[in-house]
Amino acid sequence: MGFEEVRFEKNSDKAIQNKPLQKALVNVTDRFRTARNKASKEVSDWEELRSAAREIKKNTIANLDKYLIMLEEKVIKAGGIVHWAKDAHEASQIIVKIANDRGVKLVVKSKSMATEEIELNSSFEDAGIKVVETDLGEYIIQLAGEHPSHIIAPAIHKTKDDISALFSEKLGVPHYEKPEELTKVARERLRSEFLNAEMGVSGANFAVAETGTIVIVENEGNARLTTTVPKIHVALVGIEKLIPKYEDLSLFLSILARSATGQKSSTYVSFITGPKSPTDVDGPEEFHLVLLDNGRSGILASEETRESLYCIRCGACLNICPVYRHVGGHSYGGAYSGPIGAIITPQLMGIDKASELPFASSLCGACHDVCPVKIDFPKVLLELRKNVIESKKLGINSGKDLIEKLGIRFWRFTVEYESIYKITNKLSYYLQIPWKRSNGKLNALPYPFSRWTDKRDFPSVAKKTFRERWKEIKAETG
Amino acid sequence: MSNSREEILYTIRRGLKGVSSEETTVERNFLSEAEEVQNLTKELRSNLKTQFIDELTNVNTNVAELENEENINKTLLNLIKRKELKSFSIWESEYLKEINLKEDIKKTGLKFIAAKNKNKIANSDIGITEVDYAIADTGTLVLLTNKNQPRSVSLLPPIHLAIVRQENLARNIKDLFIILKSKLQNVEDITSCMTFITGPSRTADIELNLTLGVHGPKELIVIIV
Repeated sequence: MGFEEVRFEKNSDKAIQNKPLQKALVNVTDRFRTARNKASKEVSDWEELRSAAREIKKNTIANLDKYLIMLEEKVIKAGGIVHWAKDAHEASQIIVKIANDRGVKLVVKSKSMATEEIELNSSFEDAGIKVVETDLGEYIIQLAGEHPSHIIAPAIHKTKDDISALFSEKLGVPHYEKPEELTKVARERLRSEFLNAEMGVSGANFAVAETGTIVIVENEGNARLTTTVPKIHVALVGIEKLIPKYEDLSLFLSILARSATGQKSSTYVSFITGPKSPTDVDGPEEFHLVLLDNGRSGILASEETRESLYCIRCGACLNICPVYRHVGGHSYGGAYSGPIGAIITPQLMGIDKASELPFASSLCGACHDVCPVKIDFPKVLLELRKNVIESKKLGINSGKDLIEKLGIRFWRFTVEYESIYKITNKLSYYLQIPWKRSNGKLNALPYPFSRWTDKRDFPSVAKKTFRERWKEIKAETG
Repeated sequence: MSNSREEILYTIRRGLKGVSSEETTVERNFLSEAEEVQNLTKELRSNLKTQFIDELTNVNTNVAELENEENINKTLLNLIKRKELKSFSIWESEYLKEINLKEDIKKTGLKFIAAKNKNKIANSDIGITEVDYAIADTGTLVLLTNKNQPRSVSLLPPIHLAIVRQENLARNIKDLFIILKSKLQNVEDITSCMTFITGPSRTADIELNLTLGVHGPKELIVIIV
């Protein structure tokens, strides 16, 4: 990935100060989470569906080489062209070359995390080719020169007023106030881009090995336009998006829409197999499938983290994550955010470039509970934390780590013996007094404890321990 | 490029060393399964229709239910008049030809626009299709592309009108894929593009406000016969 090293702590500090962002994050995550919960409860065999989906993904990944070859064969049979890209650079090169060889000047794009991952837009721009994002959220982000902050709602950090000002500045339109008016502006602008573009670039939610079909799920219709109107369609698809059989789609489509937005079905699902057939009246004349590895085949080798590849990018883990809800998508760097970003970015970029991410979690496990393919996030996060520590040579490189290490040693010493534990408990009750606020909380402890209280209040140590109170209560109630 | 192919496959195989590749595959007979679900569906037909209409309404779709197919053309012509439409595009599928819809609309003075020219069909006032299947429990229309059924008709005009015949209703997506698969005994026969449509084009990208018609049709009308 072309992204720079992820500075999660620094990024999240900034996000927490951003009041409009905080409000937007609560709104979007609440809305999607509530809708998802409702939708999943309406399905009587939801848990069975999750287990079945996980099982299919597990089998697919365990036979990935076989299914990739099958997919390739079928796409070629349907008249498509298949390309293999081992990394981001190669994928961008392949796609830009397809465009250059055919004299393409304008490219329309539908929303795709994979193209964000390889930063395709900058490669097009470097080659002098204009590229236009067509998902409304992505269009807004592109005009603003930013990155998406949520898998499903990429521009959620922008308010209506931000967008109004942005459209007015970049598109020269009046300051519209209503979302309907702003949407209409985008529709008109993007319609002419669609009609003039020579090439459309999409991602895919699934690729079916036995039929060579790629499946794109959306609500706006921009992916349909991208894959119907221009003469050339290029789909960039991560190698983990495979599913073996056509009928498996019924299961995956059922869980994807419900997990993502709480819809029973997304507005549009396109099932594309090759280019237009010779007798079709419309549709693209050329279809290219670019299979993207970019670190995925490496993830396969680790038994503990392999399941990261089961993800179907629904975003349910973002909406439920207490960390994401506060820090937002940009804090995670890279293309992916929330719990899935915390596990996948370090594995795709290399653990040294995103070493803070596996720690961007309280390990509460809510993501594991909602994940439609039951990815065991806490397990994977712990494994990655282990890798981070190991890569830092046992964690005694910096003063910060040394203090942490000493702190843990001291903690271990105090909890190992009951008498010492009791004494330190009492002692800390008195030691904390200078920092205790009237509300009973600690909110400004000195270093190194300030690392806790900088960002949140810490409950103070109670006068009586639980055991003491238990004894009292028992005595009182007889 | 082929180098990358070999390299990727090699890394995958190396990574999967020791991983059981065993798959429990159940041999399924989709022809008999399809027959079974279609028989079940017949018994439930009137319930399914009610459910389908409810789901369509939930996703902002206008529904007209007709007693018999003789009324299709009349209903449509009334609608065209009411909406003051000037031009139309339409699938040339067997059923729509049978009911002579295209000719009847032309007689009222509307201009017919073919799907072949993208710039022209983008300015068509309404796109009229039938559907190959529909899914009752999600309110979904299923459209298959072929030489008489171009993709643009349900996509580029601002209004999409779809005619759904009751016998094409499937209970749910699971049944639908059983039926689809039963017709795919030769997978090479798959259509270049199948589209599921559930309601009009929508977005919530601006402060989560639901807005219809961002890219595809703003209005979806379903006529059930």
